[in-house]
Amino acid sequence: MSKLSEKAATLLSEGTVKMIIGYEQGTERPRPAFCHKPEDCERLIFNDQCSNNLAVYLTKKEIIGEDKVGVVGNYYVIKTVIQLNRENQINLQNLVVMTVDGDDIITFGSIDEMQQYVDTHEPVPNEKVLAVIEKIDKMSRSERWDYWKSELSKCVRCYACRAACPLCYCNRCVTEVNCPQWIEPWAAPLSNMEWQINRVMHMSGRCVGCGECAAACPLELPIGILTKKMGMDIKNTFGGWKDGSVLSTYNVNDKENFIK
Amino acid sequence: MSKIGVFICHCGENISATVDCERVAKSASEMEGVAFATDYKYMCSDPGQSLIKNAIREYHLDGVVVGSCSPRMHEPTFRRACSEAGLNPYLCEIANLREHVSWVHEKSEATTLKAIDIVKGVVEKVRRNKPLNAIEVPITKKALVIGGGIAGIQASLDIANCGQKVILIEKGPSIGGHMSQLSETFPTLDCSQCILTPRMVEVAQHPNITLYTYAELEKLDGFIGNFKATIRLKAKSVDYNKCTGCGLCTTKCPQKKIPSEFNEGLGTRTAIFTPFPQAVPNKPAIDKEHCNYYQKGKCKVCQKFCPTGAIEYDKPDEFITEDIGAVIVTTGFNVLKTDFFPEYGYGKYKDVITGLQFERLASASGPTLGEIRRPSDGQIPKKIVFISCCGSRDPAKGIPYCSKICCMYTAKHAMLYQHKVHDGESTIFYMDVRAGGKNYEEFVRRAVEEDHVNYVRGRVARVYEKNGKLIVKGVDTLLGAKPVEIEADMVVLATAGVANKGAEELAQKMHISYDPYHFFAEAHPKLKPVETNTAGIFLAGACQAPKDIPETVASASGAAVKAVSLLSQPTLVREPIVAVVNRCAPPMFSTCVGCFMCETICPYNAIEHEEIKDRRTGKVIKTVAKINPGLCQGCGTCVSFCRSKSIDIQGYTNEEMFAEVTALLNK
Repeated sequence: MSKLSEKAATLLSEGTVKMIIGYEQGTERPRPAFCHKPEDCERLIFNDQCSNNLAVYLTKKEIIGEDKVGVVGNYYVIKTVIQLNRENQINLQNLVVMTVDGDDIITFGSIDEMQQYVDTHEPVPNEKVLAVIEKIDKMSRSERWDYWKSELSKCVRCYACRAACPLCYCNRCVTEVNCPQWIEPWAAPLSNMEWQINRVMHMSGRCVGCGECAAACPLELPIGILTKKMGMDIKNTFGGWKDGSVLSTYNVNDKENFIK
Repeated sequence: MSKIGVFICHCGENISATVDCERVAKSASEMEGVAFATDYKYMCSDPGQSLIKNAIREYHLDGVVVGSCSPRMHEPTFRRACSEAGLNPYLCEIANLREHVSWVHEKSEATTLKAIDIVKGVVEKVRRNKPLNAIEVPITKKALVIGGGIAGIQASLDIANCGQKVILIEKGPSIGGHMSQLSETFPTLDCSQCILTPRMVEVAQHPNITLYTYAELEKLDGFIGNFKATIRLKAKSVDYNKCTGCGLCTTKCPQKKIPSEFNEGLGTRTAIFTPFPQAVPNKPAIDKEHCNYYQKGKCKVCQKFCPTGAIEYDKPDEFITEDIGAVIVTTGFNVLKTDFFPEYGYGKYKDVITGLQFERLASASGPTLGEIRRPSDGQIPKKIVFISCCGSRDPAKGIPYCSKICCMYTAKHAMLYQHKVHDGESTIFYMDVRAGGKNYEEFVRRAVEEDHVNYVRGRVARVYEKNGKLIVKGVDTLLGAKPVEIEADMVVLATAGVANKGAEELAQKMHISYDPYHFFAEAHPKLKPVETNTAGIFLAGACQAPKDIPETVASASGAAVKAVSLLSQPTLVREPIVAVVNRCAPPMFSTCVGCFMCETICPYNAIEHEEIKDRRTGKVIKTVAKINPGLCQGCGTCVSFCRSKSIDIQGYTNEEMFAEVTALLNK
């Protein structure tokens, strides 16, 4: 039994938590695992392939219930927990947040510890994603418009991107507001564009950059780079993610170098 | 189907000169949901309003669109008219056909079409408008007056005499302000103290006025009707309950050479001091900066001599919090000192003084007991020169404005001098004589014709000392710029009136605006001269701009009426244009997810947390945002920020605005 499974089994058998959310081996790649009994914990694994952002389950009452749960997540899960806490969406008292670093199991005692971990363990940026962003940056305005129109015209509006995103936790999404109907619900180039622009604006300054939206897209649309690029712009303009939500805060010392 | 009435106003010719009003009305009558449409020359006139009222009754209208001037102008007028005809006033909206159409476009087909489009948009909005009711907020029936000069005194007395409670705070040890320093007042030459001190005493004795001297505003929170003021009561080192004001301490204090602020440095005072004999309260305070005990750790002479044991050293400043309904700011002004003027000797010549210093020399309570004696050697000056506009009206000195009071007080000074020194010779250098005001021009003429004051129109280039005389070099521009040189015994500068030190800081504490010279800004220079842009905070006196006594007193009474009219209402009635978080059926209760990002963005701190609880168990089901309607100003920042669109502004809901915009876009 691995150190991770042991630790998880202990937490369950001691009754500290009622459930552990972690990763197990799937058909092709690791998938989320929900352990309710100590023996379930043998399935738990943790490696570089474990990419799902498990924090998406932390705002779902029907999954985590009222009891204390543990989560063994990757870097992005930790980062998401910080953001969810900032947005009053989780109760830290009912949560044991863990990650695996080499052979060690790290259990976070506070948000500060998580922040410290996040500050020191930033993953290497995905070269492929950066290359696409660079390519799009070089396009002219009209070329860029055509590119996105063509890409997003394929969208079937399945909202998998929304479902996979741990920060899309609203009870009623803006796309479901029909009085007035701000965003048209059917799949068409313009309304798809409206949806994605809205999604990115809503994520601005909040997105942790896990890329789950893109991974969930059944049509493999490059929607992950929208939020990625927004994150980069925000970092350059307002100094980054640490300030909470850039859209809802104001600082007299904001650089404002985007106003020309 | 809605029954909207559309009323297109010609605004005389303001709208009809470029817009075909009849056609707009005709097009409007064909719009969906419109039951009645007409045009009229002056909709805001009495017959115009009757037209609207009659149509509401006759056609049972459930909404009104008036195509007229800006809603800033007549929205209240038309809403009142609708309300009088039994229609909820918030079902009436203005389509701005003047500022948005006729005033900004030439007469053309397109102009009329634009007017029709705007009317159509507003009709679509009004079709979705909901009746709203005004919000009532309780009012704390107490006013705070900041500054105990004549403006503060007048405002406090006026409010108190209306039966409302007043807290008057004054940063110095006595009320009275600059007026208590003045000798005699233009244009009647009555003694300043004689008319002021009875009012000071009245303030101290008035049952409705609580006076805090040596006190400053530390913080102001809250909003109109419901402010919370934190006041710093600076330690006076004297227990006023024990002190009888006998003044023994002030005669015994060993520090006797401190320049007296009240005498503008022309006299001295002690470290424990009462600023002047008629001070209110007439009890001393210790100036810690000059007190031997506070500076060197020993002395305590005052404590030894005090017959009642009132001296208490080392007491910290006290802080009190008061609930306040309205605030009047009367912090006054100051005048530049002589050291501001290099050309007049940088303040190094003792006999070059400011107008305020001259007031002290001429005052019966002053350091010379009212005799005009020059500061250097106490001689009576036989030749005296007054220079007006020192700093004022001089953009090069950063003071482009006119200080307004100097022309009059300089005439008065020259007159007083001539009355007291019969063989004296006085000269006034002036740019213009501005004597606008009741009996002001007559007063100046009297100085020239009866008291033979020599008026010379021209600027003074330089003043310097030579053989014990002050050489004043100027020109007489009415004699072809002839150079004039006067050997004077004393020179009086009418230095510019400037904002008080710390005015900017105080304005920021209260969130009121101020001009580049740090004078406080009124909400409208003509029609709201004593209001600020922050509701519930009023201005009076020279903190707005230099003002003379009559004008200061008038503005103080004006501000007092504004405050009283607020405080005398049972509750504060506010426009219901505030944000509201939605509610829906359980188990969701509200689409608000409680991320509280609106809380960080709200500029008015109006967002609170509300716990939705299970009625039986009391368990918290959900925590959602709640907007305090008393604090909300309806700016809409939270609405645009809310991701799930759970917040709406009443009267400007998402649905209403969407309908209006869509109508404008879909021709």
